[in-house]
Amino acid sequence: MAAFNVEGQIQGDNGPGGASVIADPPDGKLPYLPAARAQANENAAHRERDPVGHCHMHGVPRSMVPPFPIEIVQDSDYLALLSETEHSVRIIPLDGRPHLKNYWSWAGDSRGRWEGDTLLVDVAGLNGKTWLDQAGNFVDQNEHVVERFTMTGPDTILYEARVDDPTVYSRPWTLRVPLRRQPQGTELIEYDCIEGERDEVHYPGSSSQKP
Amino acid sequence: MRFIIPAAPARSLRLAAAALAFTALPSAWGQTATDLRGIWEARNTANANLESTHVIIDPPNGKIPYLPGALATRKQNFRNRATADPETRCFQPGVPRATYLSSPFQIFQNARAVYIVYQDVHAYRIIYLDGSPHNQGLPWAMGDSRGHWEGNTLVADVTSFSDATWLDGAGNYHSDELHVVERYTRSARDTLMYEATIEDPLVFARPWKIRMPLRLQTGPGAQILEDECVEDERGVRQHVPPFRGGKPGTSE
Repeated sequence: MAAFNVEGQIQGDNGPGGASVIADPPDGKLPYLPAARAQANENAAHRERDPVGHCHMHGVPRSMVPPFPIEIVQDSDYLALLSETEHSVRIIPLDGRPHLKNYWSWAGDSRGRWEGDTLLVDVAGLNGKTWLDQAGNFVDQNEHVVERFTMTGPDTILYEARVDDPTVYSRPWTLRVPLRRQPQGTELIEYDCIEGERDEVHYPGSSSQKP
Repeated sequence: MRFIIPAAPARSLRLAAAALAFTALPSAWGQTATDLRGIWEARNTANANLESTHVIIDPPNGKIPYLPGALATRKQNFRNRATADPETRCFQPGVPRATYLSSPFQIFQNARAVYIVYQDVHAYRIIYLDGSPHNQGLPWAMGDSRGHWEGNTLVADVTSFSDATWLDGAGNYHSDELHVVERYTRSARDTLMYEATIEDPLVFARPWKIRMPLRLQTGPGAQILEDECVEDERGVRQHVPPFRGGKPGTSE
């Protein structure tokens, strides 16, 4: 379950167990710079700070590994990714237009093109406020992502995200997960995340949580 | 192997076809399906106050036919609107309000559904065209939409609402008994005529109807931008547009 920890984890208090989804480096570990690893450890000790817990969009590539489904709608001009989680949406123009300039956002600014049967999506303009998972793995405003969507069967997509962020990582790394088509007739349901004022009290692990 | 691509016509063909009708959509999309795709926006002030515009076409006096007992709530909402309007606090805007906000929305289509993605808090709706029944008993801000084509008009039946949204910024409201029937008709290449019949037996004495034209954004770089919600230091939720400057945290 990549939503919990992209590096994989043992089943326990922090959710179900699962293998790392980091395909490169081969050891499945994020190639943090030393100071950034310390920040990730600090984040892990304060999971109540997870931006998703505060109802923010997941960013990229986290938005592609949520525990809830995504619907893909496409034509020759656009591919849209509608996520059930946070009712977040990414609209990916396929018409070759350039990236927006001076645009910094939670979901970034995506541009796609076909390379053979693989959709390549270049994601810029990410604001660096997002985490990669619930375990505190993170990126900053220098994040740049190139995604690859490849159908490997009638009901499977291989999703890869090459993440480059030179102020957090010593080298680019790759997340790889298969996406599986849900049964015909599956419908997304409305997801509403309303952050109550000063709602930190409701987050597990919060220092202000009452016993 | 490639994604399953409905054989959407190439851009050049679509423009050529637009001069005659709109577009020859793939037949699997429906016999009378019309191309509603594009970025649309209302250019009126209905979002501020439905009754101050000319969008209410029935009743003829342009007033919302509240039940006598429901007017007090509307008045109270109006007095408290600066802090009580759910839309300004980033709740999903609801239907039909999402249509006439001051921000645009983008329509996508395929054989299964018409998808509307609103810029406002990245809310979206899926109007299923496959004859499937409404969801029951789940109160949703954006409701549950099931549609069909009547000639070139998309008709959407919307139910399963919560009572958490307003109809405008003036405190006009509804209960969770709201039922909306929308009609989308592309009356010209750059015009989508929008009609909604609104009924709610707990709030209104009878059904009433709004109608307005929606305009197509035609610029080559037209794009839905991100609208995210952030709590400020007082704990108040605010819409926050993307940061439009040099890279955050740098002097670029």
